[in-house]
Amino acid sequence: MKINTWFGVLETDRAGKILESRLLSKDVRELALHSLSLRDNRSDLSPEGFDLKAAALECGFVESSAEYYSLLHKITLEAAKLQVSGALTPDQRIIQAVEALDDVNETTNSLSERLSEWYGGYFPESGLAGEDLSLFIAKYGSRENLDPQDPLYSKARSSMGAKLEPADEVLLKGFAESVCSLYERRRQIETYIENSMELVAPNLKLVAGPMLGARLISLAGSLEKLAEFPSSTIQVIGASKALFKHLRARAPSPKHGIIYSQPLINTAPWWVRGKIARAVASKLSLAARIDFYSGKKDPSLTEKLETKVLLIRTLNPRPPQKKQESGAKPRKKRRK
Amino acid sequence: MAEVKKLSDGIFEVIKGKKQLATKNLDPGKTVYGEKLIQVEGIEYRTWDPRRSKLGAMILKKFNIPLKEDSKVLYLGGASGTTISHVSDIVSEGAVYAVEFSPRSMRDLIGLASRRKNVYPILADAGKPDSYSHLVEPVDLIFQDVAQPNQAEIAARNAIRFLKKDRYLLLSIKARSIDTVANPKEVFKEEVRKLEKAFEPGFEILNAKDLMPYHEDHLGVVAKLK
Repeated sequence: MKINTWFGVLETDRAGKILESRLLSKDVRELALHSLSLRDNRSDLSPEGFDLKAAALECGFVESSAEYYSLLHKITLEAAKLQVSGALTPDQRIIQAVEALDDVNETTNSLSERLSEWYGGYFPESGLAGEDLSLFIAKYGSRENLDPQDPLYSKARSSMGAKLEPADEVLLKGFAESVCSLYERRRQIETYIENSMELVAPNLKLVAGPMLGARLISLAGSLEKLAEFPSSTIQVIGASKALFKHLRARAPSPKHGIIYSQPLINTAPWWVRGKIARAVASKLSLAARIDFYSGKKDPSLTEKLETKVLLIRTLNPRPPQKKQESGAKPRKKRRK
Repeated sequence: MAEVKKLSDGIFEVIKGKKQLATKNLDPGKTVYGEKLIQVEGIEYRTWDPRRSKLGAMILKKFNIPLKEDSKVLYLGGASGTTISHVSDIVSEGAVYAVEFSPRSMRDLIGLASRRKNVYPILADAGKPDSYSHLVEPVDLIFQDVAQPNQAEIAARNAIRFLKKDRYLLLSIKARSIDTVANPKEVFKEEVRKLEKAFEPGFEILNAKDLMPYHEDHLGVVAKLK
């Protein structure tokens, strides 16, 4: 009987006595690679309860228990390190980028709000917000430095805002510069995601758009997992709260999760959104599978989806009629 | 001054103001997850937070933990190594084969294993014991904390392959990861039944208790192959 082990191949008789052994050298890297190659091995497995350490001692691979364990420790560690370093695939990088983008967005919004609150005391009439405001402050500081050609000049002259002291001006300008650079970072990450999506998941990008596609990969955990999801799961990814409420209690099932941001869904009238979400999800699932298993771009996906959506919309031109005559209390119309 | 009471082999209760579960630190001076280090008579103990470790909770719920200094342990679902670090403390002369599927958690586990000679990290799916049968020797204890819907089956496959005769399987069953909506008590009953009957040769359940108040909707189980 042949047995594959991390230190070599053994040939044993029925009683488990070792007749022959082909042992590997004690090179840690080589042994680690050999161990990894045995992961998917389905033949010549060690039998149940086979004592590897005793066998290693018997065939003379190691001299002592201590040596066995110390070598095995080095090898498992080395093999695990190799696997971990191979685990950062391109779709994992997209996931990191999506998560970074969410963090940047959150930070940018709260800092930007702080800035507008703070600067509002000095120039409340500016009417600027977000990136425009931070660019304005970073450029001028106090409203007194405004160029006479600037459209805001007259407002700045007659502003009821307080005078900006030099010390405060330095502080606010620096703060505004940081916020500007965050907006810049946001664009940089978005471009990165768009470019990577084209390489990693072109079909998903085509059907979903780069950001939604990247978010789907991120929520699924990897492109492989997304490709394995049924389309009904893809339809409600991101609506887990509503989904579990539906499964636990008598709540209505969610029609869409994050795929709601797909323009075909969010521009549709409310009574066909569920149907369209189902059609979109099925194409998304197809797209993810093509991307993961073949990688070829298939432009016909969007055409087919658009035809399908058009069909759904023509078949359901009007909202469904409420059943009044059954005597049931008309349900309160929910805002869709 | 702190006092130490031995609960079982390698597991202690350190009393310093309040009672705390602890193990002797195999890697003196280092903490793993922000736990406290307490010196008593020249020996360094690491406190063990039962809220962050199912095994820790099982000890406080008076489960008998059959671990000795030289025990070999197969640990399924190692995660970042919080509990593994304590098992490694307990079996200072033994071995912990730590199987974990997530590369992210494995990163932390590798850090732990490189400082502890008795921890053997294995990045593999615990549901496929064949994929690490070339590495793991027969063991004295299997501890399973995988939170998978088919965890009874995973336990059975590993026990048949790797567990020595008359040794124990410890597992924690998380009701929420088997069925998110069912009543936890029903889920536990069903899982225990699966462990007893669904596989050949099946397990004999020696003890099964919930892990309240440390973990909600978790059942701790000690079992033995029939």
